[in-house]
Amino acid sequence: MEKTSYMRFKGSRHFRQRLLLSTLSHRAIIVEEIRSNETPPGLRSYEISLLRLIEKISDDCKVEINETGTKLKYKPGVLMGGRNLVHDCGLGRSIGYFLEPLVVLGLRGKKPLSIRLKGITNDPKDPSVDTYRHTTFHILERFGVPKEGLQLKIESRGSPPLGGGEILLGVPSLPSFSAITWIDEGRVKRIRGVTFTTKVSADFDHRMMYATRGVFNRLLPDVRIEKDHRSEPNAGRSKGYGLSLVAETDSGCFISADVVICYPKVDEMETFDDSEEKPQLLPPEDVGIQAASILLGEIEQGGVVDSTHQGLLFLLCALCPEDFSKVRVGKLTPYGIETLRHVRDFLGVTFIFEPDPATNTIILKCRGSGLPNLSRRIS
Amino acid sequence: MSKQTTNLAQLVYSHPASNSMINVQDAQGSSDSEDSDGELFYVKGERKKKLSEKPGYDDIDADDCSKLLNAQFKDWSNEDLIRSIRKRFRAGGGA
Repeated sequence: MEKTSYMRFKGSRHFRQRLLLSTLSHRAIIVEEIRSNETPPGLRSYEISLLRLIEKISDDCKVEINETGTKLKYKPGVLMGGRNLVHDCGLGRSIGYFLEPLVVLGLRGKKPLSIRLKGITNDPKDPSVDTYRHTTFHILERFGVPKEGLQLKIESRGSPPLGGGEILLGVPSLPSFSAITWIDEGRVKRIRGVTFTTKVSADFDHRMMYATRGVFNRLLPDVRIEKDHRSEPNAGRSKGYGLSLVAETDSGCFISADVVICYPKVDEMETFDDSEEKPQLLPPEDVGIQAASILLGEIEQGGVVDSTHQGLLFLLCALCPEDFSKVRVGKLTPYGIETLRHVRDFLGVTFIFEPDPATNTIILKCRGSGLPNLSRRIS
Repeated sequence: MSKQTTNLAQLVYSHPASNSMINVQDAQGSSDSEDSDGELFYVKGERKKKLSEKPGYDDIDADDCSKLLNAQFKDWSNEDLIRSIRKRFRAGGGA
């Protein structure tokens, strides 16, 4: 067997895309100095969990971690996909953290993927499972992913810190993405959304919805927000509430915003046993207004996707066949910029930037890497 | 306009920390790792403070998040703001 050459990285940042791009481009990586100055040092449980998940959907991949967890050696295998898989995402990060790389890996599998994921469905840090259903999937469809193959069913919700949520994810296996020209944001024609409550009063749903509608009333009539109140046994193990919104434009763009409120850890709560000293949480009305304000901010900024989806957008453009793609975004996000750098390092794809001063947006152009779905080739 | 283009390309691809791989980043990262040789142990809080002072691009252990966490939002109850965004909504959509 020939010697493996490794691409080398430092630190835990951009961990998911490094693994994702390493797997897709079939290039082994070494990541060193992972949180070497922190206590405790090394990989976190959710990062290990992500590695286990990748092992589950691939054949012959190799993961080596040193004793302190500060050094990872990863040699990608063949993405197999698979049916009826189960993975516990743990409680360190929400399911959304895992979905971001998993969905793309799934599309590049030899066979379709269907997997049950357990953990936290909605949290403040990562895009919610609702955003995946109502926004992310639409973006994937633009790149040629068939609508029918993409599925996400929320069987039970789980809020932090204790989770208890479960979703079923279905991802088809795709021979290749199709390059796109996507620069027309269009104008917003409707707003959709879903509120959720776990183990708190269903009245919260109504209050969030009402406040959100109040903000949009002056702009458009077509606003519909569903309520998803969960009670035992489908409400997980922690209290929480929140709202996920999506603005749909007449040119087929989907712009999302998520706000999630969760209660502090139970053991922290127990110290205030007299229960008079309750933690300050944003009231449902304010959650509604905040979600609407974030969404309006995203719409104002322009671009065919919201700031959260920039990384995915650039990645998909780079994974296309050797055709040109052209997309428009608002202000580049740090995550988007980091994605551009990694895409260059792994796939050799460099983007061209054309600022559009009239709208304060940027048009990005690139030629796809032409990287085929390697897993499907090997039979 | 072409100047702006190069600026963006520079920001993304030629920034000192722009190379996601080790070799180029060494120049920037080395002082950090040498420092830490001297002080093997950190007080937990102290380290955190240090981290928050660093700009995101240079922190090799920056949180892996696609969502903008410190997103600022405006007060959209302001009529002028609403008026300014109305063009992004379909005509006739305004109630």
